[in-house]
Amino acid sequence: MSAKRDNLFDFFDPSRAKGSRKGPDVGRDVTRELAGGDEAARGGPAPGQSAPAASSAPGGESRGAPAPSAPGQSAPGAGPGGRQARQPMSVSLLVARVKQALADAMPDFVTVVGELSNVKCHDSGHVYFRLKDSAAAIDAVMFRAAAGKLKFTPADGLEVVAEGRVDVYDARGQLQLYVERMTPKGAGSLELAFRQLKEKLQAEGLFDAARKKPIPRFPRAVGVVTSQTGAAVRDIIRTLRRRWPAAAVYLLPTPVQGEGAAGQIAESIRLMDGSARRLGIDTIIVARGGGSLEDLWAFNEEPVARAVFAAGTPIISGVGHETDVTICDMVADVRAATPTAAAELAVPDASAVRGWLSEAAARATRRMRRRLDEAGLALESIGRSAAFRDPLGRVRTGVQRIDELAHRLRGGVRHRVAQARRLAEPPAGRLAALHPARLCDRGAAKVDGLLARLRWALSGRSKRSGEALVAATGRLAALHPARLWDRGAAKVDGLVARLRWALGGRSKRSGEALVAVAGRLAAASPVNRIRLARQQVDGAARQLDAMSYRSVLRRGFSVTRSHVGRILRAASQAVVGEMIETELADGRLSSRVAGAADAPAGPKASGVGQPAARCPAEAAANAGPTGPAAPKPRPAPKPPDAGPTLFD
Amino acid sequence: MTKDAKEKEKLTFEQALAKLEEIVSAIEEGEVPLEQSIDKYADGVELVKQCRQILDRAEKKIQLLGRGEGGQLEVTGELDEPADEDGKEA
Repeated sequence: MSAKRDNLFDFFDPSRAKGSRKGPDVGRDVTRELAGGDEAARGGPAPGQSAPAASSAPGGESRGAPAPSAPGQSAPGAGPGGRQARQPMSVSLLVARVKQALADAMPDFVTVVGELSNVKCHDSGHVYFRLKDSAAAIDAVMFRAAAGKLKFTPADGLEVVAEGRVDVYDARGQLQLYVERMTPKGAGSLELAFRQLKEKLQAEGLFDAARKKPIPRFPRAVGVVTSQTGAAVRDIIRTLRRRWPAAAVYLLPTPVQGEGAAGQIAESIRLMDGSARRLGIDTIIVARGGGSLEDLWAFNEEPVARAVFAAGTPIISGVGHETDVTICDMVADVRAATPTAAAELAVPDASAVRGWLSEAAARATRRMRRRLDEAGLALESIGRSAAFRDPLGRVRTGVQRIDELAHRLRGGVRHRVAQARRLAEPPAGRLAALHPARLCDRGAAKVDGLLARLRWALSGRSKRSGEALVAATGRLAALHPARLWDRGAAKVDGLVARLRWALGGRSKRSGEALVAVAGRLAAASPVNRIRLARQQVDGAARQLDAMSYRSVLRRGFSVTRSHVGRILRAASQAVVGEMIETELADGRLSSRVAGAADAPAGPKASGVGQPAARCPAEAAANAGPTGPAAPKPRPAPKPPDAGPTLFD
Repeated sequence: MTKDAKEKEKLTFEQALAKLEEIVSAIEEGEVPLEQSIDKYADGVELVKQCRQILDRAEKKIQLLGRGEGGQLEVTGELDEPADEDGKEA
């Protein structure tokens, strides 16, 4: 690289000339020499022209006498304009003269633009480099005092504008630029410095996203590093208090610009981070209001960046305005566009959180209500199901079975009946006798009787009408169908097993059903029992009616129906000439009405329903299955006692 | 404020909110049996109350810090809530 330049240096630098390595130490007397030499050059004898270079003896002696140690004869001083030196001059002189010429020719201060190369920053603080362009180069030095003021770091390849003095470095006869000030060409030094530091720290990984810490959502306390005066601190505090008054705020007042600010800011960050745990500070805000690049410069300096990076507490940086991005911003865990924004990032908005709380509570409450409603509906629907509405449905079935079985006992194949009867008559008979319907019948019959007595009593025929009334009322209560039902149900219970046995296990299932039914019967509520009993009674009574009148028929009575099937109860109901049907015990007769005549008058059938059905049933109960051989029926209800019946 | 020992026993605000979120989700999803969800609901109501208490608490004064003995930071003073003071643009 230095090959091209050699010509110039050869000319000036004796150390490069063949032979000598180091120039002689010319020292002090060169000036005098120079003066002397000049005089000589202007002509006229002059006292001395040249002195031996090595010696320091002032003044020259002889004109032409060669000094023993002189490196060479110097030509007689030709003077500044002269080309031919009459005598050889010393190196010192030469260099001195060049220096002089330079000083005369050049202004005190020059401004040079060029490219830096061979930059060496010594430990002493002095910076040595070379300034070059495409054709030439010059050595340069920037001493510590001046170099210290540099904002940027000199580096090879940088284009700079350097201001300073050009001079010759005597010891080497070397042209040198003594640089006082240097700025990067094109960009400002601050911008350059910014760029240089940014690249350096980025390479070290200080900006890595992976190293950034998350900001706590609900900090217990926030630490603020900023100046105590100015808009930034006010904005931050106001925002923190407005948004999240629950958090404590600590302020560490710190200068944010000027000499030494960077160091102070770094120190504040270090201190606050160190005390964060003790004070409960969960997040630190580093901030400064808006300003120029110079104003914000402290936040672009390395100490601040290092302090932010080293801190264990999450740091939010809010420096300058939206468009200002400082190195501090880049290293911080979060960058905020402004100090206010920094505060907004540090704490949540309490009113928003309150809103969330209310909403969450409302959601939960709504859902709970709905679930409870759903549960209630489910319960209701279960309550409406068949099992609950009609729990005794199976009872009905059971009762029906009872009837069926009773029917089979009565009707059916003769020998089987006879057989079964022989075995089952006692319990079946009692069963039939205890059929709830029958019990109700009896009860009803008793009621009838009692009512009749009441009427009789009321009509004043008996002296004991009052007593009769009371007695009748009492007995009426005792015959309440519900009570009879209860008794009957219990008896059904006990007799079902015997019936089952009697039938030789043919209807085991029905027997079991009856047992089950009996059990449920016991469990059924009285109200339902009564209601259902009434229904059962109605149904069973009808069935029983249908069955029981047959025995009546066997005794010679008959049932007459009109041609449409309506039972004729009165002769007046028949139409002469119509077809009627008469049911006898073993069959039916068809006949035509030839004529009608009134029957002998009977008692008024008021309020007692169908006497024809009731009494025969009663009579049948008394006369029927309780055969002569049967033991005295225990539970058999006695025939209606005392009192006149309707058929008296 | 230095850590309140009482607070350490209870959940932090963040934990309380997280738990509440969990409870509300559980109730809303409906996978939880009715009785358990009633219990959770009661817990949730309590948590909401606690959170609201924390929100209602307001630390009033700004604490000023300075270097104390031993180079540690100490509270050196207090500031009131800032009114709009005149300050030069920093």
